[in-house]
Amino acid sequence: MTQSFDQPTVQVQAPLLQLNGITKILKGQGEPRTILSGVDFTVHPGQSVAILGRSGSGKSTLLSLIGLFDRADEGQYFLHGNDITKLPERRAAALRSAEFGFVFQRFFLLKHLTAAQNVAMALVNGQGWSARRKRKQQVMEALEQVGIAHLAKSKPTRLSGGEQQRVAIARALVRQPRIILADEPTGALDTETGNLVVEVLLNTTRQGCGLVLVTHDHDHARKMGRVMELRDGRFN
Amino acid sequence: MLSGKFRSALVIGGQGIRARKLRTFLSMVSLFLGVLAVVAVQAGAEIAERAMLTDVELQSGKDGTVMGYVPGEKGAPGIVESTMKGRTDAVAMIGSRAIIGEPGVRPINEGGMPFEYAGRGGDYSGPMVFCDANGTCTEQKPQEKKPDGQAIEVSMVALTGDIRPFKPFRPVSGTWLEFGTAPSLAPRIVLNEEAAKGLRQYRVPGEMMIDGATHHVSPQILGVVQDGYSQPRIYMRLDELRTWMPAAAATTEVDRFRGGGTQLELYMEPGSDELQQLLKAKLAGAGIPQDQMHFQVVKSKERMESELRIMRLIFLGMAFLVLLIGVAGILNVGLATVGERVEEFALRRAVGMSRLLLAGIVLAETLLTGLLTAALAIGAGAAGLQVALMMFGSRFPSLQGTAFPWEAGVAGVIAGLVAGVLGGLIPAIRAARIPIATVMRA
Repeated sequence: MTQSFDQPTVQVQAPLLQLNGITKILKGQGEPRTILSGVDFTVHPGQSVAILGRSGSGKSTLLSLIGLFDRADEGQYFLHGNDITKLPERRAAALRSAEFGFVFQRFFLLKHLTAAQNVAMALVNGQGWSARRKRKQQVMEALEQVGIAHLAKSKPTRLSGGEQQRVAIARALVRQPRIILADEPTGALDTETGNLVVEVLLNTTRQGCGLVLVTHDHDHARKMGRVMELRDGRFN
Repeated sequence: MLSGKFRSALVIGGQGIRARKLRTFLSMVSLFLGVLAVVAVQAGAEIAERAMLTDVELQSGKDGTVMGYVPGEKGAPGIVESTMKGRTDAVAMIGSRAIIGEPGVRPINEGGMPFEYAGRGGDYSGPMVFCDANGTCTEQKPQEKKPDGQAIEVSMVALTGDIRPFKPFRPVSGTWLEFGTAPSLAPRIVLNEEAAKGLRQYRVPGEMMIDGATHHVSPQILGVVQDGYSQPRIYMRLDELRTWMPAAAATTEVDRFRGGGTQLELYMEPGSDELQQLLKAKLAGAGIPQDQMHFQVVKSKERMESELRIMRLIFLGMAFLVLLIGVAGILNVGLATVGERVEEFALRRAVGMSRLLLAGIVLAETLLTGLLTAALAIGAGAAGLQVALMMFGSRFPSLQGTAFPWEAGVAGVIAGLVAGVLGGLIPAIRAARIPIATVMRA
């Protein structure tokens, strides 16, 4: 495990999330395969963490477990000090909505919706309901935060890769999450646009948001407060 | 107040339909035929039942009417007439026979048969044997043979009041009997269609001889009605008949044997027990045995429903098969759409949507499609019925004034909902089971 020392004094605060001894075994056809083996991981408020590693090292699987997309076979998961290891799916969905914002490599924007509607998707998810005007205000604030409010009515097919990713980041930010989970968000972008996207993501940590960035790009990783490398399902 | 989940399902379902208009349209095409089949069968069955019921009501009386039969002997007609006079909740029909046309001749339709069979009955003039209830048989003298002439024989029905609340006769032409005016010396009569046909066909003189009356009368024809009988019948006011026949002739057993004499039919509104008891007591007092007085409630609808039930079930079964084809269409399109929308569904779950709500959205889309299709099919059914009535309504009087039955609309909505659920259930389950982690990884 590597740790940079130019971090603000965030360690004194209680961790946003804490994983203890997490193991994930892939079961299916053939022999079971251990993807993660006894991983410990912690993120504090305002902290940014980069996870590096080769393909198949377990980076995305770890992100899936943190984001409650999947469940670990062993270990414990604490969010704000609460044990959520065996959380039922319904409550996991509510937590995904309230606590996490997700950014993916392939943007995952719906082509038939405008940028604003794509961002609003995170608000129309069955976890509470706000009036149309309030939703619109939240969406515009999120788009402004990533600098593309002027593209609110554009459909994804008319946006560049960087603009699309910024829409995806706005979608992740619109519910004001406590933790942003980004899975290779710059993988499909050129260097310049990638840098811009990383800057936008880092901005969120200045407002107290935790950021977990899975990346292959060492330059981007170095911009994070902490860099960790996964190898064969374990942190080095 | 709608819950956030329900609103979300509707908003996203609506977006899904708008985004895939062609697919939604293709789903609707196959489903449309299925729902239309259900609507058509249900509407057809309801209309057929109503038409059949209307025809049966013409003869048997409206559903729920209390109907009584009393023998026309021992002063019964007088008792019934005096008891029923002036009442609006009950009407008595006193039946007899009459001949319209030349006096002293053999009618064209002797015995009051339909004119279609007039002259086909042969000419039996041999002796007739009558056996009474005790089994004693006596030979009756053959009736004196009369010469053929221009006259028709009809069943004559004299009424104490307006019978139409109990038997919904359909007007064909002219007017119906007016009971609120003073009786006319020349009896006013209303013909049924068969009697009108006889008069039209044979051009008989306007003179009428009533069984048991002392004089010939010259009737005034007011109109023609459809009464559901194939034999020629005429209707008149009983008080106008009394001018010419002060008392009903006593019916002998021989009269009854020949189908002649005076018969009494009573029609009463439901719940007229008091009147029924009064009549029974009076008639029993006059010496009419209780077992010869029959009262029963008309249950035409019940009889019709049992007759139509099997037919309706067979057709509904066929319609259901057509509906299944529509369901298969929705299912097919639904499964293909879920396959295409894997990423969208995984993303929606990633941003906090529960499996249940995701399944609800897929179901909401198919349900909305089903309901929209049902609305179109019901509209098409109602419009089709109007067109059919415009084109063929005049040929079927019982269909006149028929409206699109609400039961068919309800059946269409149910069919649309069922098709939506059946066609959307498997895609909804599949959508809910999409693994987010697999789909969303880079």
